[in-house]
Parts: sequence; structure tokens; C-alpha cells
Amino acid sequence: MRQLTRLSRRRFGQGLSASVALTDLPRPAAAHDGPHTFEVRVSGFAFVPQRVEIAVGDTVVWINEDIAPHTATARDRSWETDALDAEASARVVFETPGEFEYFCVFHPHMTGTVFVRPKRAG
Amino acid sequence: MKTPTLALAIAVATLGLTAEAGEPMNDLEIAHTAYTAGGLDIRYAHLALGISENDAVRAFAQTMIRDHTAVNDAAGALIAELNVTPQDNDLSRALVEGAAAKRAELMALSGAAFDCAYATNELGYHQIVNKTVAEEFIPAVTVAPLKTLLQDALVTFRAHETHAEHMVAGLECAS
Repeated sequence: MRQLTRLSRRRFGQGLSASVALTDLPRPAAAHDGPHTFEVRVSGFAFVPQRVEIAVGDTVVWINEDIAPHTATARDRSWETDALDAEASARVVFETPGEFEYFCVFHPHMTGTVFVRPKRAG
Repeated sequence: MKTPTLALAIAVATLGLTAEAGEPMNDLEIAHTAYTAGGLDIRYAHLALGISENDAVRAFAQTMIRDHTAVNDAAGALIAELNVTPQDNDLSRALVEGAAAKRAELMALSGAAFDCAYATNELGYHQIVNKTVAEEFIPAVTVAPLKTLLQDALVTFRAHETHAEHMVAGLECAS
């Protein structure tokens, strides 16, 4: 797993702007094969959506919408975000396939799953 | 003899939203009381970290410090933004008085006795505070940002209440 980065909401917004701009470009009918970014909101002491399915090379961004700090921490501790204060975000790039259960170390009842598909051949 | 937690419940029930001589609590008094309640729980947590050797209790206490500090920091930022000063009131004073008595009681304990007393108090404290915030403070507050903050804080406090329930159950304290 690529090392994590933590970013402010403003920086994350800049990243979103870039993604939005890309959607305005001409594109093939099929979804592009490049890496994608998926958002998980941390809201009301829950990960929303609770489960995300992505492909190898994709990124998951956690955005804390609660006042209380949270983390997203792999059950096997193979990856972990920093403590995310209110409105902070952190991203993880998933480079190996598998099913990763995770939780918040501060509030262990908060759980989620990232399912990482292998890259398609060709 | 009534326990400090029970005393707190009675104070809330008796005083309700009449902080001063029957006058309804205003926004600044409600803000003061909510802030005070958070600060008191942080003090309980520091006491727990100083006494308890139970991992679950210590983890809960660390969560209380982390979360209530975050909520009170948000409240402080809102107070600064609105350029107002929260007002002390009878209910805040009752909370402080009750908490001081409870801390004295807790400091006389150790081991499992402390853990159970702390956990049980945390559950009762959050039950009372959450009920008060939900049923009295939020409906009464008139300033929208403060109402939103209390609603957001209540989400946190309710998670604490659930966490406290699990902690009490895990400790298997005699009722």
C-alpha cells in the first residue's frame, strides 16, 4: 500500500476540481482504465458507504464530517490514516488485491470494508 | 444517600432550563452548561488514566479526552466567531458541584472498584447529558450555528453512551 497522505479539505477540493475537469473532456464510451478515486464520508460515527469496491491502483479518500476525530485503520494494520480531525481528509492508494476490513481505532464499533479487484488483463 | 450522578439528574430535573430565579436559560447559558459538561467529563477521564490499569477503561478515557476536547474546541471557535461570552448559571454550577463530589468518591477507589464506578458514572452521565441536550437544549436554542453544533455534538455524545454501555457490560460490574 502506498504511504498515506493527509490533506486539508481545501487541498482535497483542489483535487476534486481536477477530477471534475477531466469529466468534461471527450472520452470513450467505456470507463477509462486509469486509476479512480473513491470517497468515503465519515459521518455520524459511520463510514459511508460502509463498503467500497475498487480496482488495484485506485485511491480511497476518507473525509471526516464529524466533530470528533476518527481514523481508518486496517484490521491487520497494513495501512492506517492519521487521526482525522473535523473536515480533514486522508487517502490511501491500494496496490494489492484483496478484501480489507478496517475500523476507527478511537471508536472501534465503526467498521468498513475496501474490496480491491485485480487489474483487468490487457 | 443519593450518589453524585443521581444528584446531577435531580439538578437537571429540578433546574431544567431555569438557570436563574425561574428565568428560562438563554443561548449563552446553554452554551456555558454544554461546555462545562464536556470539560467535566475530560476531568473524569484524566482521573481514570491516573488510576485505572484496565485497557478498555483507559481507551474509553482517552476517547473522552479526544472527543470532548474536539467538541469544546469547536464551541470555543463558534463563541469567538460570534464574539459572545457564555454565561455561568445554576445548572453549570450544579454540574461542577456534582462532579467534584463524584471525583472525590472515585479517587478513594482503585482496581476493579474504580473501573466499575467510573464506567457506571460515565454511562449515567452521558444518559443524563444526552437527554438534556436532545430534549431541552437543542429545542430551546435560538442561534442556528449553536443549534447545529449541539446537534453534531449530540451524535458524538450518543456514541459515547453506547460505548459506555459496552464498557459497563464488559467489566461485568455487580449492579
